[in-house]
Amino acid sequence: MYRTDNVLGTVRMLQDENLDVRTVTMGIDLSDCAGRDMAAVTAAVHDKITRKARNLVKTCDDVSSRYGIPIINKRLAVSPASRLLEGHEQDAAPRLAKALDAAAAAVQVDLIGGYTALVHKGMTPGEQLLIDSLPEALSTTERLCASVNIATTRAGINADAVLRVAEAIVKTAAATGDRNGFGAAKLVVFANSAEDNPFMAGAYLGEGEPECVINVGVSGPGVVKRAVERLVTALPHCTLDQIAEEIKHTAFRVTRTGELIGREVAERLNTPFGVLDLSLAPTPRVGDSVGEIYQAMGITHIGAPGTTAAVALLNDAVKKGGAFASAAVGGLSGAFIPVMEDRALAEAVSEGWLTLEKLEALTAVCSVGLDMILIAGDTPSAIVAGIILDEAAIGVCNRKTTAVRLIPVPGAKPGDHIDFGGLFGSGTVMKITAPTGSEEFVRHGGHIPAPIQSLVN
Amino acid sequence: MKTSVSRYVISVLISDRVGIMRGITSAVTDLDGDIQGISQTVVQAYFTVILVAAFKRPVTARTIQTAISSAFREDEISVMVREFHDHSASLSKGERYILTLMGRESPGILKQLTTYLADKEINIEDWYFRIDGIMVTHIGEITVPPRLDIRQIQDDLRALLEPRDLRVHCRHENLFRATNEVESIGLMLGKHAG
Repeated sequence: MYRTDNVLGTVRMLQDENLDVRTVTMGIDLSDCAGRDMAAVTAAVHDKITRKARNLVKTCDDVSSRYGIPIINKRLAVSPASRLLEGHEQDAAPRLAKALDAAAAAVQVDLIGGYTALVHKGMTPGEQLLIDSLPEALSTTERLCASVNIATTRAGINADAVLRVAEAIVKTAAATGDRNGFGAAKLVVFANSAEDNPFMAGAYLGEGEPECVINVGVSGPGVVKRAVERLVTALPHCTLDQIAEEIKHTAFRVTRTGELIGREVAERLNTPFGVLDLSLAPTPRVGDSVGEIYQAMGITHIGAPGTTAAVALLNDAVKKGGAFASAAVGGLSGAFIPVMEDRALAEAVSEGWLTLEKLEALTAVCSVGLDMILIAGDTPSAIVAGIILDEAAIGVCNRKTTAVRLIPVPGAKPGDHIDFGGLFGSGTVMKITAPTGSEEFVRHGGHIPAPIQSLVN
Repeated sequence: MKTSVSRYVISVLISDRVGIMRGITSAVTDLDGDIQGISQTVVQAYFTVILVAAFKRPVTARTIQTAISSAFREDEISVMVREFHDHSASLSKGERYILTLMGRESPGILKQLTTYLADKEINIEDWYFRIDGIMVTHIGEITVPPRLDIRQIQDDLRALLEPRDLRVHCRHENLFRATNEVESIGLMLGKHAG
């Protein structure tokens, strides 16, 4: 007989604390679909995706029922699409984007990532095609997600690519102006991107990965929040190291749940299991917020001094719990701070406690970066590029992934409220404290050399 | 008198206090008995244990019963001893699920639930419940035959018990092992494959 409190503890995580598997993401390598004839390429892409992923959704549903654990999203992440554009003309890019989108629809997945270019050291013609096509690709598809890696610790920062992708962000938002610039929410710019990340919009199948692989993203901010609340209620004078220990133990259980689901889905699909990404990814629902964890820890106003330390504590404890739970922990694995998708963070922005500059500080210690942030639609692309450069510098110098997902909302001004609905949430257009003054620096372009930290051999 | 049987299943019921297991196991051991399986619990201050023991020398059920009873006051203990017959092969095969049931207590829950399970040939391996005020929690370990569709079982249970203000869930046991043990998940799934 299992211990009663263990059984009830597990049931409580699922029933009352919103534990779920946020995504099962199948990675598919499309290298063998390359060719000079785009009609043949798109046909091969559709054939391979539908062949590999035809049973993904049903298998996830079966495993979900077996364990009584919701699997919220079933997704695909393909190898960088820019490779399929080498040697092609500009009109090939939107055709490829639509083919990917159609294949995703055919197998009934939520999203497909991998409309991606890895340009941290330089850009090939195919990668330039892909970046320039982003406004059309993201405004004419439903499920397609895109990412561009513009920096690594080993390579430094490709400032030319930053400028190019910043222009693409502004144009993508404009192209989806009828939806408040929603297209930009499907585009993320990375430094040190994770090649096995299952979360969108940044998932793609990186170098060195198998031809087909199952990666799983498990979440559970509600579980961690409740664990902290129980501890603080039982021990009102508990110390921060006791809170860290409680989070670590909780992260262990969350991680194990995700690995169980991932391995069983992979086994049933006869596909290798890749990684389990333990990321505290919030949703706009009450009780499913990372910000509420900080509040449970005693940060009444998220953004107040001490918030960065709280994020660091949480991020580190999550990683440690996950690392002990499973040898397959990978991806991003930490605490996300996607402002629009997190009710408490969105409220902190709306009330003025959390500023863009404080968020930037948090990205030095959280698992990703400036995520799902609304800015005014008239923000110049050079200023968007400056934000990306700053964020990339934090990632490059700290040997960590950082990301930028900005949404310049056409026609909106700081303080306006925007609602995308569903899991994308709602939020307030943020003010950029210094909205000008770095254009000259940004427009130098070129390349910011790799930091001294890169010389590790 | 039959003396050739060497294995017995022994059941004991007694008001709980310190030293009961010492009395039972000493009586069995003093008869050259080797305890091979045991399950013991206490329900509302009543102690009960069931155990299987093999004996190296010929003993009767009556001898074992007397030996155990003599370690206690005659009016405080009930002892039942039967020859052990291995009928595990006739038990239903399948995968182990944990059934949890929580909500408002009312008479007849167990009858309704166990009737459904029996009709489906789902075997109950272990059961626990507790009452806290007007609320009740049941936890059961059940074996679900492979021919049954677990989603149908879950739907049936919800239809049966939710009208009684009860939340019912049926989840594979590996979930509870994964969240409470440190064994490798890969090994865990391998052991239960097929």
